[in-house]
Amino acid sequence: MPELLEEVQLDVDHAEQTVLGSPWVTIVWNDPVNLMSYVSYVFRSYFGFSQKEADRRMMQVHSEGRAVVATGSREEMERHVEAMHDFGLWATLQKADE
Amino acid sequence: MRAFRRKGSGYEASFAPEEARLIMQLTEQIGAMLTEPGAGDAAVLRLLPDAYPDDPEAAAEFRRFTAEGLADRKVMNGKTVAGTLADAAVGTSATRVRLDEQQAQAWIRTISDIRLTIATRLGIDRDDDRPDPDEPLGDIYDWLAFVQESLVVAMQGRL
Repeated sequence: MPELLEEVQLDVDHAEQTVLGSPWVTIVWNDPVNLMSYVSYVFRSYFGFSQKEADRRMMQVHSEGRAVVATGSREEMERHVEAMHDFGLWATLQKADE
Repeated sequence: MRAFRRKGSGYEASFAPEEARLIMQLTEQIGAMLTEPGAGDAAVLRLLPDAYPDDPEAAAEFRRFTAEGLADRKVMNGKTVAGTLADAAVGTSATRVRLDEQQAQAWIRTISDIRLTIATRLGIDRDDDRPDPDEPLGDIYDWLAFVQESLVVAMQGRL
């Protein structure tokens, strides 16, 4: 069990950067080709969503034209986008606040 | 064709020789398209889309680092699919095709790539666009949807 012996200074600027430093999202866009069952399967098998959650996001893609499927660092989102392109899904990444 | 279903630890369907040859030809065409793409080819752009819609510089950078690997994997998937159909293609009647999990993963991706390519050729770009009934590619497009759906449903049971 650790014992705290010294006063700890927090580098506030750095801490804020860490917390706010991952504002990227992976978006999957609707396309008229890929089957609903396939898109849902991809979401479930790749992102580990439950059946219900995968279906919900798939329906969001279908009815709203797009859905956010992941949030995190830019590098992580680039990996997801590449994986989606492997599956033939139309995916992009952008900053979360755009 | 008899649709895919679960069989043992893998999946099984049966294909007529001409059906197997058709899919093999399509995988070869996609492979050729991806290894010698014409500049700005719409089908290739759909298979390797821009990752950054509003940032051409970042999109080009992403493409520089990923396009070759993506194209290679798509070509390999097509070869895997063709390999599983080799016996059926030279059969005299419908022949069983068995897939393990890895081959099934190649199949669903390759069918998606083929259908995306056909859709680009047929100008299908909205949800209510349907292939022209006189267009033979349209029948192939719909048939491949049936093939993929049967495999995806079988694979879903394993998640």
